[in-house]
This record gives sequence, structure tokens and C-alpha cells, in this order.
Amino acid sequence: MRDNKLKYILVLPAIIVVFATAVWPLIESLRLSFTVGRLTKPNFPQGYLGWENYTWAFMEEPAFWNSVEVTVLYTLITVILTTLIALGLAMLLAPGGRLRGGVQTLLILPFAMSPALIGVSFRFMFNPEFGLFDAFFGVVIPPLAEISWLSDPTLAFVVCVMADVWGWIPFLTLVLIGGLASIPQDTIEAAQVDGASSWRVFKDITLPQLVPVLAVVLILKAIFSLKTFDQIYMLTNGGPGTATQTLSHYIYFSGMKYGQIGYSASVAWVMVIPMILLTFLYARYVFQKR
Amino acid sequence: MTGKQRKQFWNVIQITLILIAAFIMLIPIIWIFLAAFKTHVDVYQLKLFFTPTLENFGTVFDAPYNLGNKLINSTIVAGVTVLFAIPIATCAAYSFSRFRLRFETSMLVMILATQFVPAVVIILPFFVMFRDLGLLDTRLGLIMVNLAIVMPFAIWMIKGFIDGIPLETEEAAMVDGSTRVQVIRNIVLPMAAPGLFTAGIFCFIIAWNEFLFALILTNKDAVTLPIGLALFKAEEGDLWNLLSAAGIIIMLPMFILALIIRKYFVQGMTMGAVR
Repeated sequence: MRDNKLKYILVLPAIIVVFATAVWPLIESLRLSFTVGRLTKPNFPQGYLGWENYTWAFMEEPAFWNSVEVTVLYTLITVILTTLIALGLAMLLAPGGRLRGGVQTLLILPFAMSPALIGVSFRFMFNPEFGLFDAFFGVVIPPLAEISWLSDPTLAFVVCVMADVWGWIPFLTLVLIGGLASIPQDTIEAAQVDGASSWRVFKDITLPQLVPVLAVVLILKAIFSLKTFDQIYMLTNGGPGTATQTLSHYIYFSGMKYGQIGYSASVAWVMVIPMILLTFLYARYVFQKR
Repeated sequence: MTGKQRKQFWNVIQITLILIAAFIMLIPIIWIFLAAFKTHVDVYQLKLFFTPTLENFGTVFDAPYNLGNKLINSTIVAGVTVLFAIPIATCAAYSFSRFRLRFETSMLVMILATQFVPAVVIILPFFVMFRDLGLLDTRLGLIMVNLAIVMPFAIWMIKGFIDGIPLETEEAAMVDGSTRVQVIRNIVLPMAAPGLFTAGIFCFIIAWNEFLFALILTNKDAVTLPIGLALFKAEEGDLWNLLSAAGIIIMLPMFILALIIRKYFVQGMTMGAVR
């Protein structure tokens, strides 16, 4: 067979799978978002509604805005915290050696852990009676000793952030260690010989060269933070009340628990738009490398 | 302080910080490991020393929990997903790596983008379709949607490996009269085998840990391990010793797999944006 035919035959199955499992459901969700789409009623998806699901979400649903607020806040805090801590840890671990190399290996573990299980383990750690972290914070910050973390709206959110940061630091650290390793050592050594302080070396040499990797890390983390579902579901299930209800969780609830597929599809599409923007930003970095 | 003393001082600080970080990373995992071997009395106390028991691992496999079924479901779903994903991804990856295609960049961006679409968006139409087709609560349905999440990783990862195989060997074989298909079978596949294996394990971990699809599409017969965690909520609260035992069964095999392919983990996750 000639190459110019073969090359398209080879990609065809993959393209079909991607279309069937990602492109079609996206378009179908968009179509459903303009319908009544009640699961529990006959003749699904009932009739065409126009933009009503969207206007309903924006105008009439405080719960929607609450989940937007939670998601934005959650994304901002987790992205900044995870990146900063991971950068620090990467600087500490980058030199290598036995101890540092060993810790680098350990960093794989939280990452291979199911996010649902991370949620469970943090619920365990913050149990008011026998949670280890709960006991620890009770000793370190006495006013928190008597408080049940997961029943308090603010603290429950803090626990969700901690679980997320805990789960993502290892991966981001490993990426940043890779980034640090690709910075040529001779400029750094030359600056050190000239007597530049460690801080100056970091600020003027390391950091600027790390920008592309940092950008990848920030975008990737932002995408995964925006999508967060598993951990929240197992940790607080959006509660107490709706204090930790992210957009994904809100979509899940209105679609699956209340059977409002049309409405939840419209909210889902509100979420898809920032994702598309972030993806294109990310793709730019991926293709720069080629 | 002399320069040498200062350096030593900094070294101690650094090592202390590293140890603290490692401790924080490990403590939730260690705590689950300890709890899994505690009796249902010990688990409700902050005990470090206790008489370990293996009872929990027996209980989770008994009725009413039947974790064995979930273990089988998880293994089949993740395994079959990988068996479909890797050959399909390998063909595509070879083509993307070796040829110039029309719409190549658009296709690659599209594949990349599918990874970033929120799972909750994808699952709504699938739920409706599976309800009509009777595919709800089946392993087959779960395998189909799982392909959606592993496919982009598999393609990008394998493409990275094939990019690293030198062109010369292939060209030499072509000059000697091999066809392209023979070249792929006899030269590229053996050389890319470790890469395919790595990508397979990576996808297995992702499919094994998948939560949202299984939560929505299954309720009894096809329930996977992560969803099985919800079984251990009793009237009187969570059964932490059993939850922990189930947790170990979920995470321990993945830890081992992750350690096997640890060098490629970062590359796989970032889809080649960071090498």
C-alpha cells in the first residue's frame, strides 16, 4: 500500500474513537442544553427551549453562582499554592543524591492514588474524634481544637484545598524538577563565581528560564482544578450546605440527582468555554516544542 | 560564621525541610495502612501501637461488601480499555510521528483538547444513550467511555517514544525492499515495545482510578473499586477500618505499577509539553 493512503488509514481508528467519545458528546450536550431535557418525564428530551436554560442559570439560580464562586476561588487558591510549594520543593530536591532522589521516587505515590481515595483519606484525617490532622491542628492552633472541620463552611473549603494541594504537589514538583534540570548550569556557575547571591541567581537566571515550564504547569493545574469532582464528592459531597460545591459537582447534582439533563448541559457548556481557551493556550506551548 | 559553616548550616536546613515534606506526603498514606490493620475498636482512637489484625481484608470480600466483584470489574474494565487503546493509539502515533498529514496540527490539538473536556460534560449524553441502549451498569459501557480519557494520553505518549526511534533503520529496511507495513511490524514495534508497555501501564492507572463515569453509569453489577468505597458508609458512620483495607486494595497495585514506569510519568501527564 502506498504511504500517502496508509498514513490516513493509520490515524482513522483513533480519530473515530476521539470523535465518538469526545466530540460527539460535546455537540450532543450543546444540543441538549437547548431542550427541556427532563430525565424522569416521557419523550426525552421533550421540546426546544432556546436559551432559557442559560438565562435560568444566570438569572434565577443563586446555586449556580455559588458554584461558580467556589470553583473560581478553589482554582485560584489551589493553582497558586500548589505551584509555589512545588517550586520550592523542586528547588530543594533538584540537586539529586540519595536522599533527594529517594524522596523524588516517593513523590510518585500520591499521584498514583485515586482522587476519590484522597478525598476519603482526608475525611479520615479531619475526623473530629480520631482524625490525625484534626488532632494536630488542635494542638498547634488551640482555638481550632473544638471545631469540627468538615461541618464548618470555611474550614471544609480549606480541607478541600489542602487535599487538592497535597495530591497535586508531587506531580508539579516532578515537572518542575525536569524544568530545572534543563537549565544550562554554566550561566548559573558563572554568576556564582561573580559573587551573585543565591537569591539573585534564582530571580535573574533560574526563574526567567523556567517560565515556559511554569506556564505549562499553571495551565495544566488550572484545567484540573476547574474540573475537580472526585475528591470533593468523597470528602464533603459539596457540603456543608453548598459551601464546597464546585461546578462539576453542581452539574452532576442537577443532572443526575434531579434529572434536569437539559439544564445541567447548559451549565456544563458554560464550563467548557474557559476550558477551550486554556486548551489552546496549552497547545501553543506543546507545539512550540516541536 | 565561615563560608563552610554557612554552607553546612544551609544543608541541615534543606534536609530538615525535605524530611518534613516527605513526612507530610506520606502521612495520609501511612495512616490508611495502619488503619487497615486495626480492629474496629482501635480505629476510632489515635493509636500508633496496636495489635494488628488481617480481619478487615477478609471482611471486605465477604457479603454484603463483596469487594471481589468490584476488583474483577476494575481489572476487566481497565485492562480491556488498555487493550483497545494501545493498538489504536500506536497506529495513529506512528502516522503522526513519521508523516506529514493534512490537518495534522488540528487533529493533534483536537486529541489534546479531549483530555481537557470536563468528564461531567461528556457523560450526560452517554448516560442518555446508554439508558436507551440498555448499556447502563455494564462493563462494556464503562470501557467505551474510558477510552475517551486514556486515548489522548496514549497517543501523545507513544508518539513521544516513536519520535525517539532513529529514522535510519527504517529507511535502510525500505531500501532493502521491505514494505511500510513490514517495517512497522518488524522494526518499529519491537523498538517501541518498552514505550507501548509504559503507555499501557499509565493508561491502566488512569482507567483504574476513574471515578465520575463509574459513579454515573454503574449501580450494581459493573461497580468498580473507587465507587465501592461508598459501600462502607453505615448508619453509625464510616467504617474506617474497612474503608482503609479497601483503600489499600485500590492503591497498592497502582503504587507498584507507578514505580515501574516512574521515569515516564511526567512526560505522560504533560503530553510532551515537558520532557
